[in-house]
Amino acid sequence: MTMKLAEALKVVQSAPTDAPPLQIALLCGFTPLHLETFLRAQLCKLFPGRFLDVQTGLYGDLIGNLQRVPGVAAAVVVIEWADLDPRLGLRRLGGWEPSQLQDILVEVKRSCDLLQNGMASAARNIPLVVCFPTLPLVPISFTALARASEFTLELRSCIASLSAALFHIPGVRIVDFQRLDALSSSRRLDVNADLSSGFPYTLAHASALAEVLAQLVLDPQPKKGLITDLDDTLWRGILGEVGVQGISWDLDNHSQIHALYQQLLRSLAASGTLIAVASKNDRSLVEEAFAARDTILRTTDVFPFEVHWGAKSESVARILTAWNISAGDVVCVDDSPMDLAEIKAAHPEVECLAFPCENPQAAYELLERLRDLFGKGKISQEDGLRAASLRANADLHRDVAQVSPDTVREFVHQIDGHLTLTSQKQPLDSRSLELVNKTNQFNLNGRRFQEAEWRNWLNAPDTVLVVASYRDKYGPLGKIAVIAGDLLNGGSTGKRKLCIRAWVMSCRAFSRLIEYECIRWLFAKLDVEELEFDFLPTARNTPMQNFLQQVRNAPAEPHCRLSHDQFMQNYPASSHSIEESPNG
Amino acid sequence: MVELESRLAICFATAFPELDPQEIPLVAMGSLASWDSLAGITLLSLIEEEFSLSISPDDVADLVSFELILDYLKKNYLPKLSPEEAQ
Repeated sequence: MTMKLAEALKVVQSAPTDAPPLQIALLCGFTPLHLETFLRAQLCKLFPGRFLDVQTGLYGDLIGNLQRVPGVAAAVVVIEWADLDPRLGLRRLGGWEPSQLQDILVEVKRSCDLLQNGMASAARNIPLVVCFPTLPLVPISFTALARASEFTLELRSCIASLSAALFHIPGVRIVDFQRLDALSSSRRLDVNADLSSGFPYTLAHASALAEVLAQLVLDPQPKKGLITDLDDTLWRGILGEVGVQGISWDLDNHSQIHALYQQLLRSLAASGTLIAVASKNDRSLVEEAFAARDTILRTTDVFPFEVHWGAKSESVARILTAWNISAGDVVCVDDSPMDLAEIKAAHPEVECLAFPCENPQAAYELLERLRDLFGKGKISQEDGLRAASLRANADLHRDVAQVSPDTVREFVHQIDGHLTLTSQKQPLDSRSLELVNKTNQFNLNGRRFQEAEWRNWLNAPDTVLVVASYRDKYGPLGKIAVIAGDLLNGGSTGKRKLCIRAWVMSCRAFSRLIEYECIRWLFAKLDVEELEFDFLPTARNTPMQNFLQQVRNAPAEPHCRLSHDQFMQNYPASSHSIEESPNG
Repeated sequence: MVELESRLAICFATAFPELDPQEIPLVAMGSLASWDSLAGITLLSLIEEEFSLSISPDDVADLVSFELILDYLKKNYLPKLSPEEAQ
């Protein structure tokens, strides 16, 4: 159900005007009119604490608008056919004769090249959301409408080439038409409005388009973990009743939807999503089922298995502990409304979704919903390591628990740790920003950055960025820590100091003294006398508070400081090998 | 008829939130500074959305006051309703 114009105006009018501004550019060649209103309204809903300042450009000059794009948090680029050649619009007359089609194609290719260059240049500084033509082509070709012509196929090929080229540019997010088509299924072109005001969209289409565009501006963080039930969810049948050979996930038994669900879970696991099982079942029977039947989701994709007859909410609690992530990052899928209600009562932040095992159409829509919740722009090296490193972490913590507290540091000496640090600023490294915005526990202040804000800050000459990667005998963890701050002059001895404004470390890297090695390296590498921490307590950053307390011998507080001498008195040396890498 | 007028008044209130409700029936383009061409397009789009009708470009230039728009709706919207809807 798309938003009505009246509703959009009310949302915009009721937005607070004294909130921190969020500046977004809407770049198009047509009159933005109601698209601007709808986009502003959708963004108001997605960014409730911000005042939305949507800036637009000049009519009929999309490429010029791209060149003049102001310093904003993100830019939305909406391309229509008339931007590629005015003869493909309604407001300019240049002729639709067959003899002109080739010339139009040449012009379209030229415009595509200019747009590609313009967008690549703009994307260096700000994230771009790009939408390719959504309107039907004007009746320009000599073929009947139902029959594709060489001309229209060539036109669409130009668009496909441009989108493929743009896809590889960091910071560019392209609208997927399948999603837009689902939201905007009615008439899109408003001839009256286009001719009278230069706004080519029907209200319904503008509303749907704005909804999709706003989602891409938000670029929501994906959920991190999925907890699935087994019976009548991962497979059809109650294992305890029908036995190992009675459960199914195939066409013959009319249970193919469960196979598709398993296939999706396996895909999610391979993309870095954590998958766990919470099932009221006999554990040995479940182990037998996974061993004897060729499940699509493998046991190696799952960690941990919580299989017993106890409450599901207790299973979820243990899984959250094993994953060390917050309940708000987790989705539970179960066919039992009662079990979902019990989980929801104990963990209100968990998103609980019913698996409609008797309704394949509804179950398929659930698969689409899951893809939406866990969707990510790209798969990083860390995504491939996450599940394995969690398993390894469980091993490490088991081993740590077996040694006395006095010998934990000695234990860390034996794990063959290798820490790689780089101070090469890479503003387009999405993993750094992802860590800063996602990590909760070892987090200096909980501050989150917009992509453009992060890039601009890192581009400043005195900004320092340090990224740490780590591996030990329990396996590689990938990039696990980010420290960013500003170098300032004026310590008591005239030496510089580093004001650390962002410091996060993945919880997977806890218990390895990595935080101490990062600080030691900072003092040595930057030759600073003092570190100042832009610390703020948050509901979840107790590990950071404990670290600052330990290393300073004083409670953590805003703008607390740590001198080199003070640090060395409290520094528990590890035996990690430390390497400096030019590019992380 | 009363419903038609109140629905139109809601469109005006949405397009021109600064107007007091009692001012709306009297408002005209010439007497309201914020009623510029852009606001006029927004107002007519709201009316098209509210009444599910399409206003002809030839009529747009004449729709410059609450009263004139109400007359337009009486002539162009009410006759298309079924007798039950018109009541």
